[in-house]
Amino acid sequence: MWTRRALLKSGGMAVFAVGMGGSPQFLARAASLAASPAMGRRRKVLVTLFQRGAMDGLMAVTPFTDPNLRVMRPQLAMDASRDAGPGALTDLDGRFGLHPALSALAPLFREKRLAIVHGVGSPDPTRSHFDAQDYMESGTPGRKGTASGWLNRAVGQLGHDASPFRAVSLTSALPRSLYGDEPALAVANLNDFGVQVPGAARVAQAAGQSFEALYETTSQSLLRGAGKESFEAVRMLNRADLANYQPANGAVYPNSPLGRSLRQIAMLIKKDVGLEVAFAESGGWDTHVQEGTTNGAFARRAKDLGDSIAAFWTDLGPRQDDVTLMTMTEFGRTVHENGSGGTDHGRGSCLFALGNDVDGGKVHGRVPALVPDALEDRRDLPVTTDFRAVFSDVAGAHLGIAKDAALFPGWTGARLPVIRA
Amino acid sequence: MNSRILTGVALGGLIPALWASSMGAAPGALAAPRAQNPAPRRAPLAAKPAPVSLSYDRLPYARAGLSATQAAAHLLDRFAFGARPGDVERVVALGLERWLSQQLAAPAPGPEVERRLAEYSTLTLSPAEVVQRYPNNGQLLRAALDAGVITQAEYQKKDRVALKDRLAQFAQQQGYGRPQELLAETTAQKLIRAVYGEDQLQEALSDFWFNHFNVSWTDNKARLFIPSYERDAIRPHTLGRFRDLLEATAKHPAMLYYLNNAESTAPMPDDARMQLAADTKDASDASATSDAANAVMTDNAAMTLNPAPPAPGRRKALQNPRKALQNPKKTVKKAARGINENYARELMELHTLGVDGGYTQRDVIEVARALTGWTVLPPGPRGNALQRRLARQGSAQNLVVDGLFVFRPDMHDTGAKTVLGQAFPAGGGMEEGERVLDLVANHPATIRHITHQIAVRFVSDTPPKALEDRLARVFSDTHGDLRAVVRALAYSPEFWSSSALRAKVKSPFELAASALRALDADVINPRPVVQWITRMGQPLYAYQPPTGYPDSAKAWVNTGSLLNRMNFGLQLACGRVPGVRLDLLKLNGGHEPESAQAALKTYAPLLLPGRDLTDTLRQLAPVVNDPEFVRKVDAAAPKPAAPGAMTSPDETSTPSNEAMVAPDDAMAPTDAMTAPDTMTPASDSGAAPAARRARRQTNAIRRPNGQASRMNGGGAARRALRNAPAPTQLAEVVGVLLGSPEFQRR
Repeated sequence: MWTRRALLKSGGMAVFAVGMGGSPQFLARAASLAASPAMGRRRKVLVTLFQRGAMDGLMAVTPFTDPNLRVMRPQLAMDASRDAGPGALTDLDGRFGLHPALSALAPLFREKRLAIVHGVGSPDPTRSHFDAQDYMESGTPGRKGTASGWLNRAVGQLGHDASPFRAVSLTSALPRSLYGDEPALAVANLNDFGVQVPGAARVAQAAGQSFEALYETTSQSLLRGAGKESFEAVRMLNRADLANYQPANGAVYPNSPLGRSLRQIAMLIKKDVGLEVAFAESGGWDTHVQEGTTNGAFARRAKDLGDSIAAFWTDLGPRQDDVTLMTMTEFGRTVHENGSGGTDHGRGSCLFALGNDVDGGKVHGRVPALVPDALEDRRDLPVTTDFRAVFSDVAGAHLGIAKDAALFPGWTGARLPVIRA
Repeated sequence: MNSRILTGVALGGLIPALWASSMGAAPGALAAPRAQNPAPRRAPLAAKPAPVSLSYDRLPYARAGLSATQAAAHLLDRFAFGARPGDVERVVALGLERWLSQQLAAPAPGPEVERRLAEYSTLTLSPAEVVQRYPNNGQLLRAALDAGVITQAEYQKKDRVALKDRLAQFAQQQGYGRPQELLAETTAQKLIRAVYGEDQLQEALSDFWFNHFNVSWTDNKARLFIPSYERDAIRPHTLGRFRDLLEATAKHPAMLYYLNNAESTAPMPDDARMQLAADTKDASDASATSDAANAVMTDNAAMTLNPAPPAPGRRKALQNPRKALQNPKKTVKKAARGINENYARELMELHTLGVDGGYTQRDVIEVARALTGWTVLPPGPRGNALQRRLARQGSAQNLVVDGLFVFRPDMHDTGAKTVLGQAFPAGGGMEEGERVLDLVANHPATIRHITHQIAVRFVSDTPPKALEDRLARVFSDTHGDLRAVVRALAYSPEFWSSSALRAKVKSPFELAASALRALDADVINPRPVVQWITRMGQPLYAYQPPTGYPDSAKAWVNTGSLLNRMNFGLQLACGRVPGVRLDLLKLNGGHEPESAQAALKTYAPLLLPGRDLTDTLRQLAPVVNDPEFVRKVDAAAPKPAAPGAMTSPDETSTPSNEAMVAPDDAMAPTDAMTAPDTMTPASDSGAAPAARRARRQTNAIRRPNGQASRMNGGGAARRALRNAPAPTQLAEVVGVLLGSPEFQRR
């Protein structure tokens, strides 16, 4: 369905270009762009994962050689070991250690597919979840009135024919990141996608035919176009396949919201429905109380995160080449632990970028010695890398977006190279 | 009937004159020479006569070739949430002009709304009462500690489950509610008012103006004040003066928190900032234990509210929460960092002048400075203590307290300012902010921006310039009388032109309300419909950015949302939307159509009155005539239950219930901004507890007479049960009509 449509469109464009006396280069470029899916060239996919609640970056990826850490986190600091025995951090590079609950990610780091950027955050110093998430998703720190989200603007820069599944959020309502002019689909469960009447499938089937007939011919062009796309999309997805989906290569997803989201994203990628930007989220990172070490609030979330991402990557198999996954969180947490065995709202945190083009096996960014003078407001891991420097590089290099100003209006900083050139 | 002719007068002369006079009215240094007036970037309003004089004699639909029936249907699509059965005939009989006059007079919502909202317990609460009744987790913990229900030792223990249970029990004993109950009632009342209110125009305008001055439930600080914001700041002014509406929003805690003006302050020395920080902890976040308590109380421990980092003293506070709570000065937050520009910027960019309104970044800063000190008085003892302290400090003579709004002289930047070219001398107080509102409320750019948005909402996504010019003219003539502007809109020929008819695509809220009206549905429990509205892309009261939902067809129509729209119509008609009771046969005088074809012919004009249905009928006739269609639908007829009268099963008996409940339920458990929408359930244990929670909330707002309906015992239901065969085909046809492209438009 998709393929045929794309070919028709490219044909139409070619005729148009010739008719207008378009140059051969234009012709070739337009045709190749529009026809690329039909030619079997797969599109790049950026998968973004928002960890809501502000992940403790120092707990996820710990500068374990810093003696100050033990002083400031008597209950929370952990030891590292080369062989990542149970209960110890995995020593990544002699300075940083990966939390044991994230051990599923350690092989990916060793294979140099996984990069970590530490000290990432926003230039706006707010410690409000609401404001910080808003700024990270709009991509305009300090400005609330930005109507669109940065991922939607990224979609707008792709510059080629769109599938209805080009931008998909595995949430029931669209996230702020995907607000904007470009069509984006929010669907918590792909099984819900289609004309449906619970318990009366045939009514739905008959009604579906009626709707299709009505929308095909309505005089309102927007409804006509969206209706046509909707029914094409439903056929593309073929829910029977969804129900029977088996992850490949023995991948086992955690039975969690995040696990289910990534499983469905993998499915969409493998079904070649035109997915290019995907969004998922993970909650529960606001660890004010009893954050724990090998076990506890943080470890539970981290295990879900690590295992979900690792399963996703295994499941992708040969499609790994097309995909980059990036995590994000609105800010980090205090260096000091608090009186309840947790940490409070801070500034810099860390993020993960995973992909075969990623400059992996490294901890990028800068983490100073954890002495008060080096900390932000003498208490928080400082933001040494603007999140936009990472997002622009990952989205820009992976999806081929050149214009940083379009992704992040008003930002004049430089990209932090996380994707290998 | 009153008749008044507005003759075409040169607009170019009029608005600058008004502009100048509003300037001239200001005393002293404000009476600046004209030359200093800001020059809007765009050209001033067309310096030519308004193209058509307006007569307020007759609504000019006949000239546009419309019958009274067609015109009444159009009027009900724009100034009401669609027609109920018989509405079009009633409006025609009354006279369209009279109906409009009645609506413009802002009638009461009427007995039906009163009856349906009678059991709602939050609608009349003051903001302070809401804060009292819906404590956040920190406040709850404090109360439990104070009452001795929980000991320090228990608080320090790692057994969070036990602690949580104790707190929950305590909350129940105290009669405290969960904030999501407040949201459930707030969204429910919005739907009930739209479906059953007699003040349809006022409700449509409330929807419009709330979105214009958007605040969001996703903001933990603002959320508890949203019911009052709509009730006290928005609704009373929808047919009043724009300037009053603007000030009501500017001074409301919901807006003060949402756009951060509450924390905006003049630069000050560190010690003063620390004191201030202790004072300005927002009203819904009363304690240092708030975060910790949130982590205890919420399953996912996500997204607590605490905009500022804890200072060193905070650690001790957490070790001894009770002590800290008793002495808030010890729980000092990092102080506010001076002015916060967010409100000032959006005031100009979104609320008044518009993005091309000719203001500069310098103006943003100056307006923010003028508005420093406009903040929120914490309800209860903290607010009283603050007032006493300010009185002692001697700044009380300028202190202004109005409800929870407070002007705090100690936060105000008293330096000289220049706002939009106007000089503000040093030493001013609260009146500076009010002067700013005067300035922007009557600015030509504002007039253009506001009247454009009104035209977009009520006429088309691309309204004719002549119409906008005329509305701008009325706005300036009347000094922003919104009733006059809406009236002028209805009496404008452009409102009735063929390019305006059905030009708007309904928002999901409008779609749901109009479908319920068209079916004369009995909404026993609004919550499932509210969840559908979320699914269709419009979580109510929860659009995060201050822009509000975009008002264009494109924003609502895309692949995912369109399928959900079709499904909503279909499932509603098939009795699959819990909490809604229908009697499809009654719409046709109790007669059951003989065939699907007959159902189509009868019900299409009932549901879509005053419209040309040729295309819809032509497309659908062959489909419903197809024997295959009949076979499919008959085969699909639900077996014993779900009789023709479509008494919706209660959600507890709906098989696919959990899938349906899940989406918007995520809003419930989070104290979080993970958003109303996100699927992140409170725990990994899946949807079952989520569904249970949703049911609990549902029960909380179900009215007593809802019980009767669940017995499936309405007269209509019994009649239909006798009327074999069950009209599944009828439900299907009605569902297809509600999901049709024609029904998506207004």
